Amino acid sequence: MTTIVYSCPFVPAEWIAAHGVRPMRILPHAIGGAQPVGAAIGVCPYARAFVNEVCSASGGDRLATGLTADAVVVTTTCDQMRRTAERIAAAGCLPVFLMHVPTTWQTVTAQKIYISELKRLGRFLVRLGGQAPAKGKLADVMREQDSARAALRAARGHLSARQFSAALADFHRTGRTDCQSVLPQTGCQPVPLALVGGPLLPQHFDIFDRIEAAGGQVVLDATESGERTLPAPFDRRALNDDPFLTLADAYFGSIPDAFRRPNTMLYTWLKRELAAHGVRGIIFRHYVWCDTWRAEAQRMKEWAGLPLLLIEAGDEETINGHAASRIQSFLEMLK
Amino acid sequence: MNEVPQQLTLDEWDARYAALLSAGMREPGYGGPLRRHVIVDGDLRLGTLRFDNSPAALRLWNFLLSEEDRLHEARAAGRKIVGTMKDLGTVPVMAYSLPNVVAFYPDGAWWIPCVMQLRDGLFGIANSLGIDESFCPVRAMLGAFVTGAHFPVPDLLTCSVGATCDDFSAIAQRLAGLGYPIVWWEMPARREADFGERAVCLPGGLLVPREQVGFVKSELERVKEAVEDLAGAKLDPAALLAGIKAANEVRRRLAELRRLVFTARLCPLPALEMLIAEMLAIHFCSDRDETIAVLQELIVEVRKRIAAGQGLLSRDAVRVFWVNPVADLRVMNLLEECGGRVCGTDYMFCHALDEIPEDLPPMEALARMALADPMVGSAGERAERICRDVRLFNAEALVVSRIPGASHCATEGEIIRERVRVELGIPTLEIEVPPVCDAMLPTLRSRLDALIETARERRRLAGALICPTGPMGPTCPTGPSCPTNQSTGEATGVPTDRE
Repeated sequence: MTTIVYSCPFVPAEWIAAHGVRPMRILPHAIGGAQPVGAAIGVCPYARAFVNEVCSASGGDRLATGLTADAVVVTTTCDQMRRTAERIAAAGCLPVFLMHVPTTWQTVTAQKIYISELKRLGRFLVRLGGQAPAKGKLADVMREQDSARAALRAARGHLSARQFSAALADFHRTGRTDCQSVLPQTGCQPVPLALVGGPLLPQHFDIFDRIEAAGGQVVLDATESGERTLPAPFDRRALNDDPFLTLADAYFGSIPDAFRRPNTMLYTWLKRELAAHGVRGIIFRHYVWCDTWRAEAQRMKEWAGLPLLLIEAGDEETINGHAASRIQSFLEMLK
Repeated sequence: MNEVPQQLTLDEWDARYAALLSAGMREPGYGGPLRRHVIVDGDLRLGTLRFDNSPAALRLWNFLLSEEDRLHEARAAGRKIVGTMKDLGTVPVMAYSLPNVVAFYPDGAWWIPCVMQLRDGLFGIANSLGIDESFCPVRAMLGAFVTGAHFPVPDLLTCSVGATCDDFSAIAQRLAGLGYPIVWWEMPARREADFGERAVCLPGGLLVPREQVGFVKSELERVKEAVEDLAGAKLDPAALLAGIKAANEVRRRLAELRRLVFTARLCPLPALEMLIAEMLAIHFCSDRDETIAVLQELIVEVRKRIAAGQGLLSRDAVRVFWVNPVADLRVMNLLEECGGRVCGTDYMFCHALDEIPEDLPPMEALARMALADPMVGSAGERAERICRDVRLFNAEALVVSRIPGASHCATEGEIIRERVRVELGIPTLEIEVPPVCDAMLPTLRSRLDALIETARERRRLAGALICPTGPMGPTCPTGPSCPTNQSTGEATGVPTDRE
């Protein structure tokens, strides 16, 4: 089956799957890779990891995720990722589809652009061998995925933060949910924290362990790879009437992110979720050279009224000792 | 009075100014000696620059450096002020089509730390707001808004987002978070039309899907409504068309100035003044009619110099194509000190140099122009136009000037340089220029020297191989661009100075 890789949460897996193509939203591994983008001043480590991992899937090579890729979808939610499309195309490794996800979201034009881009993505999938979906097919896929996401949300309280994030990553990559693990018992009540920022890499999931080892617990994963970017549950009645528009509305209309202008949806969502989870502190994590998230750090600190620890992630493979030490100090302060 | 073109220091300009006044020079209301900008405004960087000695250049500098006064006067006169952020030449055309509206470019504050040699404190304010040195120097704009010491707070702020750099989008959002309302408008990433999709041609020659133009047009309609609400008047198509024609007057003059300067055998106007002149196209420096007058005087001066066989710099100065504006103006002088001259530029707003179509409905024309912005497409497309212009102006080397922290600079330079190397084979260099580059001057000088030497060596080798009149030199009739032109100048557009 043809496989499409991507990393952006605004690309609906249902739309790809309904075309008979396998969607695979990945968190890249190959942070140390040098081809086609090497480490350089100004280059976002995540964008570099993504482009290098995707390009490593050319010529029948397998992604670190274990599957070959046939094409890649890149979006415009950040400038550096937008520009990676050109690098991937220039490397000639995979067909690339650059999807414009509007930065504005409150206007009819923005919605029209998003819908138009989804339709264009559909034509791209057909050119790759996919089939334009019948109305019923898309609705079926949407119901299935919606149920899977509901199961994931329901499992949230039974999983550790790391397990939940890993389950989300697995779901995005494979379309399947596997939530068999159970929450480990802890001796004392951990400090509830929110983790906010851009996406994590799989090797960065040990941040959850570090936090727990220091006496905290991430009760709200508001990173791009976390629950923040799950689309809202579908309106089942609307889904029956017009699945395509329902899909577009759920993705474009509900996912809060720092790149959106204005960014009020992010703060509205955070206000609700921070309160709902009884969060007592925020660990704010962004990649070096990520302007979009870095610019939010100070404002969030002023806005949240909660202690905020800023962690900048570079090219390191794991959470470095300096960051671990700061997490420990942060939690000691909160205990 | 000696009218030989030359570059003067600020001190030398004092004497020159007095002499010009004695000779009866007449100036517009914003005229005066350059020195006053240092004394009154604290523009210390002027003391390190070298300026063209013509009255036309003096007028250009005074026009640029008096913009803040002009904006305050506009406010005092009851005119409405629109700040058009991340908008290199679109909304200003609209705004100036209304009689009581002035548009300006708040992003232009990125040069304040350079001009004031960091005494302005704007970066410090940006730092305090969480916008540190990992961002583009345009973060100075935040400080300028907070202090209110540089330009009046606009009555309306618009900002283009979407396929733009993250730095500015993030900084503008921070500004919005401080309580400055912003009308955001979407600029989709420009793409080629798919098979079977209706395409339209943009100024500059790119073909894009008709649908994309429609999206931009509807966004601009929204901006237009906001400007109309502010002005308290409707902007009818006839008035907008008149505004477009006036904008084209600016663009035609700029195109003529560029053609004259970049193709002249002897450089008739230095790179620094050309950079400032090009910037006028973005928002007319808050006075469209005066922009036309300033450019016209420069054209007259340049024509006079060419006709007299006069110019600046060495006759064999290496012809350099420059990509991206520099955060420190001093670097434009530096290139010339190293033996180069600028012959061709892409300061990120080539679309603001192309004429806006006058035979289309005005909003459609503006939408096409906006979509032609080199920064909303791929670096490859940008490189294609750069290659075309390098050929047009027979540049012998290319410099990509990185803007510190700018998201687009992370990868675009390599793509542009590679394309230029493959297609044209000329030497290229990428440098990063901070807002005050004094500490880096020796390094920058060495690197530019190396580029110039490489280009000269290439010229020498190519001249020995192909020049029908012998080794290249100042008297070579085919001119210094011989390596890219094996025939006569006229055949391939090599400068001939025949005006």
